[in-house]
Amino acid sequence: MRTRSPGGRLLLHIANLVVIFFILLPVAAVVIGSIQSEKSLQADTRRLLPPEPTLDNFTVILSKGEHKGRIFEQITYLPDNIKSFYAAFANSAIVSISVTFLTLLFGSLSAYTIARQRFRWTLFLLQANIVARFVPVIVLMIPLYVVMRSFGQLNSLSGVIIAETGFLLPYAILILAPYFDTIPADLEEAARIDGCTRLGAFIKIVLPLATPALAACGVIIFIISWHELLIPLILNARPDFMTLPVVIASLVGDVHVFFNLMMAICLLALAPTVILVALLQKYIVEGLAAGAVKG
Amino acid sequence: MRASHFAFFMNVPTLLCLGLVLAYPVAYAAYLSMHRVGLAQLRRGEFPFSGWENYGRVLEDPLFWVAIKNTLIFTAITVSSEIVLAVLIALLINQTSVWTSRLTRFLILLPYAIPPIANGLIWSFLYSFQFGFLNRILFTAGLISDPVNWAGNPNTALYAVAVPYVWRTLPFAIILVHAALQGIPRELYEQASIDGANAWHRFWHITLPMLRQIIAIILILRTAFAFAVFEEILAITQGGPGDATWVAAWYSYKITFAPPNNFGMGSASAYILALMIGAIALVYMRFVYRRVTL
Repeated sequence: MRTRSPGGRLLLHIANLVVIFFILLPVAAVVIGSIQSEKSLQADTRRLLPPEPTLDNFTVILSKGEHKGRIFEQITYLPDNIKSFYAAFANSAIVSISVTFLTLLFGSLSAYTIARQRFRWTLFLLQANIVARFVPVIVLMIPLYVVMRSFGQLNSLSGVIIAETGFLLPYAILILAPYFDTIPADLEEAARIDGCTRLGAFIKIVLPLATPALAACGVIIFIISWHELLIPLILNARPDFMTLPVVIASLVGDVHVFFNLMMAICLLALAPTVILVALLQKYIVEGLAAGAVKG
Repeated sequence: MRASHFAFFMNVPTLLCLGLVLAYPVAYAAYLSMHRVGLAQLRRGEFPFSGWENYGRVLEDPLFWVAIKNTLIFTAITVSSEIVLAVLIALLINQTSVWTSRLTRFLILLPYAIPPIANGLIWSFLYSFQFGFLNRILFTAGLISDPVNWAGNPNTALYAVAVPYVWRTLPFAIILVHAALQGIPRELYEQASIDGANAWHRFWHITLPMLRQIIAIILILRTAFAFAVFEEILAITQGGPGDATWVAAWYSYKITFAPPNNFGMGSASAYILALMIGAIALVYMRFVYRRVTL
C-alpha cells in the first residue's frame, strides 16, 4: 500500500466514521426503540435514551401477550398478530428452509447442465433465467393470487413455498452456473470411464466440489425468502399462515400499536438473518458477485 | 443415456417451476389485463372480455401518471446516489491499512440482513414527526429547535423514502465494486505513479475505466429493481402524503387489493411496469451479461 500523509489518514478515518454512523443509525433506532415504554417515548419527545430501559416489549411478544409486564399494565388492546409471533416465526422458518432446499436442488441440476451441455436450448434457458430474474413480484402477484385461489392453495404454506421457489430459481441458477463452469470436466470424464452414470458423476464428483457455491447460493436464497413480503402477504390472509414480514406489515397503520412494540418485533424478525450474515459473510460476498457477473 | 436426454431430464423440475410460477402467471396476467375482473367476476369465475379497456382506463388515470413520474424520480435518485456512494465506499473499504476501513468493511453487509418491511418500519420510527428517533438525535446534538416532519412533507417525502431504500440496497453495489477493484492489476497504478500521476489522475484514468463494466451492471440491475419498490413505501408513507409517494408497484397493489378490487386494471398497470422492466432486462442480457455465454 502507498504511504499516506497523516492528514490523508485523518480524512479516511472521518469518512469511515460517517459511513459507520449511516450504517448503524437504523440499528440504533430499532434497539433503543425496543427497550422503552410507550409512556417514556411520549413523555419526552426530545430525549434520545430511555430513562429506564425495559425488556417488557419482548416479554409481551414472547409470552403471546400473557405476561404484560409493567409497561403494558394499563393497555387493554394488543393486536392478535403480535400474539402469534411463534407461529409466524415457525412459518417463516418452514418456508425459508423449504424454499432454500428446493431451490438448491432444482437450481444445481439446471445450472450444471447449462454449464456443461452446450445445446441451443440450454443457452436459451440461461437467457430465460436472466430475464426471469427481473420479473417483479408485483406483476406475478395478481395472477398468482387467482391461480392459487382456483387450486385452493390460498392460506397454506405449500402455496407460498411453490411460488417463492419458482420466483427465486432463476437467481439461484445464475449464481451456480458460473461456478459449475469453473470445475474441470476431466474428473467427471474419468469417473464415467470407470462406469459411473452421468447423474452419479454429478452427485459424487461435482456436487462435493461445489459445496462453497451451494453454501453461497443457499444463504442468499434463505435471506431473500426470509425477507419476502408480497408473496405471503397476498396468498395468506389467515393469521395461522402468516410469516414474520406479513405480521410486521399488519402493524403498519394500526394506530393502537406504538413504536416500542413495533421495534421489538422488528428486532426479533431481523435477528436470524443478521446472525447468518455475520457468520457467513464470505459466502454471501462471493455469491452476490457471482450472480451478477462473469462466466 | 444420451447427453441431450440427460440435460433435459435434469431440467424438468426447473422447467416445471418456471412454467408454473413465472411463465403461466405472466401469460395469465396478460389475459386478466384484457378482461373485466373484479370480486364479483372472481366469485362467479367468469371474466368478460374487455379488450384494451383496462389499459385505456389506466392510461387515462392521472394518478397512474403521478405514480410513473414518482417512480422515475425515485429510480433516478436512488440509482445515481447508489453508484456514486458504492464507488466511494468501495474505495474506502479497500484501504486495508486503515483500521476504521476494516471496521466499515466488517459492517458493510449489515443492511443486507434487514428485512425490507422491517427496514421500512424502523425508518418510519426514525422519521416520526412527534416521537421520531432522528429528531431526538438532532435535538440532542442541538441542531434543530423544532421537530422536522421528514416523511410528512409532500416536497421531501419521496427523498425520505429514497434514503432507507438506498441504505438497504447499497451493500450489493458496494460488494460488486469492491470485487471489481480487486481485479485491477496493481502494476497499472505502480506504472502511473512512476509517470507522476497523482491520486486523482490514477482514479480518473485507471480505476474508473476499469470499473465501467461493473457500473453498467449495477446501473441496470438497480434500475430494474428500483422500478418495483414496494416495502418501504408500504411501511413509511403508504403513498402519502397525498399522492407524493405513489409509485408504480403501489398503484398496482392498491388498485387490485384495495376496494373496489379491480384485478383487470391492476394487471394492466402491472403489465405496463413489467414491459418497462423487461426492456431493461433485454439490454442487460444482450450488452452486459454477454460475457457469460459460457
